[in-house]
Amino acid sequence: MGILQKSHLLSKYIKVNPCNMADKTDHVQLSQWLNAVAKTRDKQAFTGLFMFFAPKIQHIARSKFPNETQANEVVQETMSNVWRKAHLFDENKGASTTWVYTVMRNVTFDLLRKIKGNKEDNLSDDIWPIVENMQTEAEVFDDHLENKQLLSVINKLPDNQQQVVKGFYLMEMSQVQLAQQLNLPLGTIKSRLRLALAKLKVQLGEHND
Amino acid sequence: MIKHHPKFELMLSFVKGDLPASLSAGITIHAGMCPVCQEQIFQLTEQMAEVSFEEDHLDKYIVDDDKKLNVSSIDFNQMIEAITENNEVKLEEAIIEKVIAFKNKTYKLPAILNNMQLGKAAQFGNLARARIQLDENEIHTSLLHIEPGAGVPEHKHKGFELTLLLAGSFHDDEGVYVKGDFMMLDGSHTHQPISKDGCLCYTVANDAPYFTQGINKLLNPIASFIY
Repeated sequence: MGILQKSHLLSKYIKVNPCNMADKTDHVQLSQWLNAVAKTRDKQAFTGLFMFFAPKIQHIARSKFPNETQANEVVQETMSNVWRKAHLFDENKGASTTWVYTVMRNVTFDLLRKIKGNKEDNLSDDIWPIVENMQTEAEVFDDHLENKQLLSVINKLPDNQQQVVKGFYLMEMSQVQLAQQLNLPLGTIKSRLRLALAKLKVQLGEHND
Repeated sequence: MIKHHPKFELMLSFVKGDLPASLSAGITIHAGMCPVCQEQIFQLTEQMAEVSFEEDHLDKYIVDDDKKLNVSSIDFNQMIEAITENNEVKLEEAIIEKVIAFKNKTYKLPAILNNMQLGKAAQFGNLARARIQLDENEIHTSLLHIEPGAGVPEHKHKGFELTLLLAGSFHDDEGVYVKGDFMMLDGSHTHQPISKDGCLCYTVANDAPYFTQGINKLLNPIASFIY
């Protein structure tokens, strides 16, 4: 199924209001900063990225590393990689937040492995190769062996769950965007998605795990 | 056609970086052969990024006053200076292909295994095993080669056992398994895989299997061998 058909399919369920589409997070700004770092080694742009991401990374790292020095190492290492690898970011393949998340996740994985197993093999870049982000969605859905079956099962869900599943998986809207579109609390979107997935799992049988 | 995929919970832990390297590598190999799982990983990653970085989700972090104070434990300006001082750009390393040979057959290995240390292959009848040195304590990771017509006698696991087919196929009571199939078994399963045409598997287990059928109980050496 092509993206146009997908949008068409979804537009039957959700009235798209472009004014509502923007997140609170300024993705355009973040992408511009990353591109500026990649192309012109723009320190000002990096400072912008740093001020947005570093405090958040520090909070997250503190939950994984009780040791403050190690948590700070995650911040330092992640932001260093953002500075040194910005040229690997491609805004056509996903949001800047997703890219920085993967950089942070990889740094955390390698550091945990170093602490636990005393291994400095830094496997994270092999485990999560960049190619993982190269898929185009149209291709995947065309390839999906049980796409038809899946759609027919989705269509049997209660209407409010269908909206959320189709928005999230076919339109690839974020949960936040869906909450805005449907004018519902984020928690409701999440619980509907959870309920729907649990039902789909039962419907599709245990061998589809 | 690939029929067996990692469960949702496993995928999520993978995306969050919470799985050991052995199981993570298994999912990487599977996703390299399965566009559906690749797409799911991509979407879960987006979701996790959102939960981590989007403003709406951050409120939960900002309630704790103690933690607020700790934020200042980094001198941000100093860190920015230190990072931007280094103007090196990280370049991608070229990928070198690795192969492994069992008897007369040579197999190309998935790229993820390139930077892992492979032990020497040990032969046991129609089975051969090469250990992958990941040093994860009780979790053992191996490449297991089964020659045509051979199999592993019926056995059970106390812990978990991941079997991922890299080449060839095998079958058991439940059906046929082909290249890319990702089978995660826990203690409640018994199985007896047999490979008609031979196969190469990536295996991860956290305990030795034990054999469940009469005479096969004498096969203890195999149990510790394939673990």
